[in-house]
Order: sequence, then structure tokens, then C-alpha cells
Amino acid sequence: MTVSTNTQDGQRAISFKEVGRAERGKRSDEVVLAISPAFATLFSKTIVDLPHAEVIRQVLAGIEEQEVTARIIRLQHSADLALMAHTAAKLSGSGIGIGILARGTAMIHQRDLPRLSSLELFPQSPLLTLETYRSIGSNAAQYAKGESPEPVPTLNDQMARPRWQAKAALLHLKETELVRKGAPTVEVVPEFSAASV
Amino acid sequence: MFRTIVGVDIGNSTTEASLATIGPDGSVDYVGAALTRTTGIKGTVKNVDGVAKAVTWALEAAGMQLADLDLILLNEATPVISGLAMETITETIITESTMIGHDPRTPGGKGLGVGTIVDFETLADAEPGEPVIVLVAKGVDFDLTARTINAAVDRGVDVTGAILCNDDAVLVANRLNTKIPIIDEVSRVDLVPKGMVAAVEVAGPGQSIRTLSNAYGLATIFGLDSEQTKVVSPVARALTGNRSAVVVRTPSGDVEDRTIPAGSLDLVGVQKKATVDVSRGAAEIMAEVQRVSPLVDVMGEAGTNTGGMIANVRQSMADLSNHALADVRIGDLLAIDTAVPQEVRGGVAGEVALENAVALAAMVRTKESGMKAVAEAVTSHLRGLGATKVDVAVGGVEAEMAVLGALTTPGTDKPLVVLDLGGGSTDAAVIETNDDIDATHLAGAGDLVTKLIDAELGLDNLELAEEIKRCPLGKAESFFHVRLENGTVQFFETPLPPTAFARVVALGENGMNPIPTRHSLDRIRTVRRTAKERVFVVNALRALRSVAPGGDLRRIGFVVLLGGCALDFEIPELIADAVAPFGIVCGTGNVRGTEGPRNAVASGLVASYVASHAPAEPQVGARA
Repeated sequence: MTVSTNTQDGQRAISFKEVGRAERGKRSDEVVLAISPAFATLFSKTIVDLPHAEVIRQVLAGIEEQEVTARIIRLQHSADLALMAHTAAKLSGSGIGIGILARGTAMIHQRDLPRLSSLELFPQSPLLTLETYRSIGSNAAQYAKGESPEPVPTLNDQMARPRWQAKAALLHLKETELVRKGAPTVEVVPEFSAASV
Repeated sequence: MFRTIVGVDIGNSTTEASLATIGPDGSVDYVGAALTRTTGIKGTVKNVDGVAKAVTWALEAAGMQLADLDLILLNEATPVISGLAMETITETIITESTMIGHDPRTPGGKGLGVGTIVDFETLADAEPGEPVIVLVAKGVDFDLTARTINAAVDRGVDVTGAILCNDDAVLVANRLNTKIPIIDEVSRVDLVPKGMVAAVEVAGPGQSIRTLSNAYGLATIFGLDSEQTKVVSPVARALTGNRSAVVVRTPSGDVEDRTIPAGSLDLVGVQKKATVDVSRGAAEIMAEVQRVSPLVDVMGEAGTNTGGMIANVRQSMADLSNHALADVRIGDLLAIDTAVPQEVRGGVAGEVALENAVALAAMVRTKESGMKAVAEAVTSHLRGLGATKVDVAVGGVEAEMAVLGALTTPGTDKPLVVLDLGGGSTDAAVIETNDDIDATHLAGAGDLVTKLIDAELGLDNLELAEEIKRCPLGKAESFFHVRLENGTVQFFETPLPPTAFARVVALGENGMNPIPTRHSLDRIRTVRRTAKERVFVVNALRALRSVAPGGDLRRIGFVVLLGGCALDFEIPELIADAVAPFGIVCGTGNVRGTEGPRNAVASGLVASYVASHAPAEPQVGARA
């Protein structure tokens, strides 16, 4: 799927259109990306104000550059990153899935791994840049192809925790308020538009 | 007299002990053996800790006390140490950024495009009908790139190719209305000369470029005459095998494949002398070494890479052995051709070329070993630990002891050659039918193999290289199965660690070690096997030639492999294959029928002691 992200200059906005229940993919050349309930709904930016539209665009670009296809699903019954990424992996034809929380925390998962394990984890959301998201997409796609990519280099900042923990906790609280028990996981299609800022 | 004795072999990397009790009638009963890491450098007082540990463990295994011990026999260590050096002897230089020959993993589009290079910003000004190649700097978004190119094409500009800095080639190609070849990940895009005619070629997946890697293809594109074609032929050669490439025609640009003046080696033999240029490669150096052998010393030409290399080896060995620099004489030299990945000078995309290099292993004879001092230190240390009646003696020369130990391998007989494949040197000793023993020490062994693997795979991590040397490889294809290097599959009940997923792994005794490189399993395997062949097979043949009666390999009956590298999973078979044509029985030793290739020297020490102190016993082949 070549996602058309071609909106003219300026900021892009993103919304997701539901297209039905999320099914298990049959193509072995796909990566499934799971987003959380508040992603691009209640929130439109990550914890460090990266627009969700750009985050999704870079992850999809990273996957597309490796000539792998992508599907996006939205979990409505949980905002647990490990569960999201593992669900994506289990629905993915290649067994590789990515999970992204509204505040930006991300994870690459594989379906045969225990849920609380992961292939690559990006726990410090304030340190993730758009380049990191591109590399996350690219690495996930390379895993899907059976290649051995170098893990995405990430920063580690001792001060990130004290500095951002309060905001992260608030964002998480808001996000979990949108969790609806028993609501199904749905497949969504991104729609980019010029931002109305 | 009933005595308890221990033979202790202090090697470069391991210290081995062999415990025996000698009955009143002189009968020998081996009751224990132990192995530990050598502490400090072989032949120095620091060895004491390792010796004490090995002795204590051997006693524990046999259920004895330190107080029971009567005698410790140390080996007179082989008086050689060895050093390594490596130097590249060729380099590739690109002048005026004439070509981009790196292999991005994901180029975009397909085909060949020729045109004038224009900047992305000036694409809007390009005249319709003019063939151009777009150069896009870092940070330009793929949507914008694609849109601008599409707009230019709509205006009638003939955009024939694109060179990108970002990893965006497929993204841009997917968004273009016309398919053009696109190369990405060109890190120094600012160095690409603008306004020049260039050609971009991208081949389909799994294929390599045809036109730009062909000198006549380049001549056709750029309209070159025969002289100019001669000049560009190195460019074509440098691009062979790539999936994508760019060649820019500049007035005097060139790719040089030049040989670095590496300097020469002066080989001084007992009777002959020779000077050989290092850049001529290992084969010529080794031929000269053989011609002038036995070597007395080797000198490197002052002020050259070779000079520096030899000086380094000399200095490190002087430091090791506490000799004056002038007393360090190189007694053997092993040169090996290797190819090392190096970044190309003048490249614009971090291109890497395999450059030829020569690795040298040198062996130095030390004046005397410090074993006497070690023996005294061991005595006082062990007496302090409670071994009240212990004596320590230097029991015999290492090579002779190794032969005696090797002869205890079932199925061997004289004349027998022992090949001790160690870490620093390959030692050979021969015992002839009349019990004459002769020995030789050659430079180059396990450490050199590790270094070759490290350099050729560009790992820069000796521990990882060591792991690759020791263990078979596999590729973790899923969390539950690994494809082994012989093509078979191994399944697992529990999932593999996430770090191993989709990687080539070294299958060590304590689980898998992922190898964090982009090299394929086949490539790593080939590098590993050829490194072993170039060191051990070459050295085995050199050693056998020098100890064989009359230099005739056919007169050797048995070859027993000893030492740590004899435990390797493929070195013994590589050597056995190489000597099989000479009718030699070759295999890994099994000392005393139980110890494998270990413990030969330690057992030989005991055997030799018993033979010399119990004359009533029939000789066991010792002439201590």
C-alpha cells in the first residue's frame, strides 16, 4: 500500500477511518502498526509535540522504503504498549508488528515472543525523533523480510524520567480514559489533510 | 618408594596438571588432571597462582591433600614468543568525485539514465528537453522531491535519474509518474560536481549493473576515445557487482587503484640473505623465507610501513620478555595475504573497498626462560598453603615432553610428529625410530586466525572474532528454529532470545552469540575457514617439511595434533586433508587414551621422570 501522504506544504493533520474489524493478514511481506485509543483522536501530538501525522508518515515511509506493505490497526480496549505491539504482531502476516502510544512510546514486536518481551523497545518517548520513527518502520520491515538490521540507535537520558514523568503520567491517564472494555480491535486507514492550524 | 607427583605444563594460555602416584615397583598410576588459565605471561613468577590452582584442583579430583604431594615437575617452556602486525598495501582513491559506487540497500526505480547534474533547487529553471539528473540534499522531504520532479517532467524537462542524500529512493520512485533510476544514501552529496554529465544505473533486485561496470559501456555513454577508455577502466572495475552506481564525467577525474609503497623486509638467514618487497604479497615473502631459512633475524626498511610494523613487533616482544631491544631476534616469519574493508579516499557515499593487506606473524627466540624462578616461587607458595614436603623441579624441555605424552595416544608409533597448535606459535617435534627428538617453532597460530577474521569482517572486536573462530554458525530464522551452516535445521522448545532473532549466531557451548554485522552466514563461514587454512594448513606443511627426515613428508608415519586449536571443530580435518596425499596418519591426539589433545606435556613430564628414576622399568621411550 502506497499511502498518499501528499498534502501540499505546511503541517499535515491525520485522521483514521475505520474499515472494519482487524483480521489476521495473509501476506508475509507486511508489517502491522497498532495505535492506541487516543492516537490522533484526543491527542494530535506526542509528548514532545511531534505531530501524529508526521510520526505515522515516517513509520510508513520507513516500511515503504524497504518495499514492504503496512496495515494499521487501532486497539480500543487497552493502551498497554506490549499488548498493542503483540496484537499487531499476531495479526501481521510476517509476524512483525509495531505499537505506538499517543505520547510516542514505541515497540517492535514479534508474534512468537512472550508478550512482555520485544524485538526493540523505545521506552523514552521524549527522546524519539522523526528520524527514529523512520528507522523503526525501516527496521520492522527488514525483520519482516528476514534480514538482520542493526537495532535503531536511541538516546538514553537520565534526566528524562524526572523531567517528563509527570507529563507522561497525565497523558497516560487521559489515554486510558478512552479505553472501552470489550471494544474490538479495528483496522483503520490513515487520511492526511492540511492542518487547520 | 611410594611417591605422589604432578607434572605441570605452563602454556601461553592454559596451565595443565597431571597427577600420578608411583608405586614402590615403579608403576605409574595417573589419578587426576586439571586445567586452568595461565596467570601472567608464560615463564614469569606470575604463573604461580595458575600453577597452584591447577595442582590443587588435580589433587581435589583425586581426593588427596596438598600435604600428600611430594614433587611438582615444571616444563622448560619453549623459549619463543610471537607477535602480530597487519598493514594494507593497496588503496583506492577517487579523485574529483567521479563515481559513487556504494551499494545502498534500497535503490529506487530501474534502468540507466544519462544527463547533466543539476541541483534540486535549480530544477525549476531547467530548460525543457534537456536531459538532467537531479541532486537532492539532505532534509528534503520525499513528497516534495517527487512532486518537484513530476512538475519538471510535466514541463517537458527530461529528468533521467536522481541522486538522493536521504534513504528515500523507493519512496520517491513510488511517487513518480515516470520511472527513473534513483540512488540514495549518498552521504556527501555536496561533493558531487554539478553541471557535469553523469550516468545513473540501477539494476533489478538480485542483479548487478551492466553498463557502468563495463569500460565500453562507459565509452559509449560518454563518447570516449580509446585513450580515455583506458583511463576510465578502473572506474568500471570498481563498480563490478554493485546493484546501483553513478559515474560522473569530469575533466580529470579518476579512480586510482594504487599500491602503497609498503617497504621491504630484509631476511637474514644463517647462510643467505634476501630482500623482499612486502607489496609483492605473501607468496613471494614466504618463498624467500623458505629459501634463506633458518632465519636469524628480520629487518624492516626504515621509514616505511613495514619498518614500523617490524619495530612494533620487536618492541612488544622486548617488553614481554624483558630483553633489550637489540637482543630480540626474529626467528620465524609467517606472511599471509588478506583483504581488509577500508573506506575509499575521496568517496562521497562512504564507499568501502576491499584492500589488499599483508598480515605478519613473527616469532622471537628468548634468551632463557624464567622457569627456575617460577619453580622457586611455586615451592614457597605451595609450602605456605600446606604442602609441607613438596619439591619443585624443572622436568624437561617442552617439545620432548609433548612427544612422550603424545606417544601415549592409542594407535601411534614412531616415527611420530607432534604438531602443537597453540595460540601464539605452531610447534612441531619429531621422534624418530631411534628415539632422536627434534623440534621446530613456527610463527602464526590461533591468535593470527582471530586477527584475520577480525580484520576481514571489519569487526574491530577480537572477542567476537574469537567466538566466530571457535564455534559453528547458524542463522536464527524464527524464534523456534535455527538453520545451521550445513543446511540442516535445529528446532527449540522455548523461544530464542530476542537479540538472536534474524541474526547469524555463533553456536557456543553457553548458548548463542548473535554476530552484529550485515555479513551473510556464507561469507562469515568462508572467511573463518580460509583464515584457518592460510594459517594452520600452511604452518602444518611448513613444520612437517622442516622436521621430516630428509625433508620428505612421506617418511613421517604419524602426526598427532595437540594444543588448544586441536580441539577446534574443523582445524584437524583441514590439516588431515592437506597431509593425506603424503600417506600420513593424522588426527587429534588422545593422551593416555582419556585426555584428548590436552595434558600431553604434563603427562610427558611424569613419564620422563619415572623413566629416568626407575631404571629397572623398561624404557618408555624417554631419553631424559
